[in-house]
Amino acid sequence: MSYELYRHTTLGVCLQDALDEMIGTQQINPQLALRVLKQFDKSVGKALSSRVRTRYNFKGKLKTYRYCDNVWTCLVQDVELKETQAADVVQVNKVKIVACDANNSSSAASKAAKS
Amino acid sequence: MSRNDRSMPFTLPSPLHEPPTPMTQFMEQQNVPGTPNIQTPQPSSSLMPPPSAPPPSHIFATPSPAPGHQPPAAPLASPSPLAGQSSSGANPYTNPVSPRTPLSASTAESMGIIPQLQNIVSTVTLGCKLDLKDIALRARNAEYNPKRFAAVIMRIRDPRTTALVFSSGKMVCTGAKSEDFSRLAARKYARIIQKLGFPAKFLEFKIQNMVGSCDVKFPIRLEGLVVAHSQFSSYEPELFPGLIYRMVRPRIVLLIFVSGKVVLTGAKERSQIIEAFNNIYPILKNFKKTT
Repeated sequence: MSYELYRHTTLGVCLQDALDEMIGTQQINPQLALRVLKQFDKSVGKALSSRVRTRYNFKGKLKTYRYCDNVWTCLVQDVELKETQAADVVQVNKVKIVACDANNSSSAASKAAKS
Repeated sequence: MSRNDRSMPFTLPSPLHEPPTPMTQFMEQQNVPGTPNIQTPQPSSSLMPPPSAPPPSHIFATPSPAPGHQPPAAPLASPSPLAGQSSSGANPYTNPVSPRTPLSASTAESMGIIPQLQNIVSTVTLGCKLDLKDIALRARNAEYNPKRFAAVIMRIRDPRTTALVFSSGKMVCTGAKSEDFSRLAARKYARIIQKLGFPAKFLEFKIQNMVGSCDVKFPIRLEGLVVAHSQFSSYEPELFPGLIYRMVRPRIVLLIFVSGKVVLTGAKERSQIIEAFNNIYPILKNFKKTT
């Protein structure tokens, strides 16, 4: 089982909306929708690790951190995000970073990451 | 060993009362606010019962606002039986807890240098069982990895310290620079636990270890020192570049480096660190590198 972290991304939310609609119009049943979401979790993880070349560096002030259930949660303030190749800099006031272990995924961890 | 070594400094002229580098000293003092430092004899004089009369004013060479700092120090640096012994014992000269004027020469001799506290480790009992996972999930700046260590590691920024919180309700607070800061930090951690809904109290606060350090500002012949004080010293430059000096009274371990930097550890009280340094300083002077 992989992390359900990416269901909250725009892509994930759209997928869930679409699936909900299809369930509503009885085009698919809920079990199938669940399977699609599970596949989505898996595919996003795979795609991000293998297909994405872009890298961002970021710098900021660490306000708080937490490590519990193998999940790091960091609240960073005044963050400067920089793409390694491009010159543009994104300034953000606050960033929450949730980091899980990529090698071992446990259900407990993904639950903690969501909350 | 000690008699001869130590008698040397007292033959030095008294102008040494004046710290050789008042500027740096002042700056050091500034860096560590709230530390009742600089004048070693002072905290002790406040410990003495009133009959001991006002301390001789001339030993306060620097214009330090020490009286203001004193109150917090007084209860902490309570006169240990050890200190009492040595003041009446064989070598009162090196005892910092003695306010008697003629003896203050020894303290004055190393007075320009006073060990600065670098780390305090204290423990406290919160008096209730704790759900560590709950704490880790709700408290900020907490780490909990039961696979590696059975305690929540928590940090605060002021005073900059780290605490280990155990499920038994015991807590270890490390990293503070003074006794008062250590206590304050421990209280803050206890308050955090309380705010999370545990009936935490603040029991049996105890300072377990203190670490001080200073610089005698001259290089030291460790090879000579280890031979002369082989009973107390171990010097294995292949294992560790410093000489490890296990002083018996007070029971302090000193790490002495060629550079002249000294680390003192194992103290339960500030006075022990100062006493140990006053003991070692004349010895180090004897092993000053002459090149």
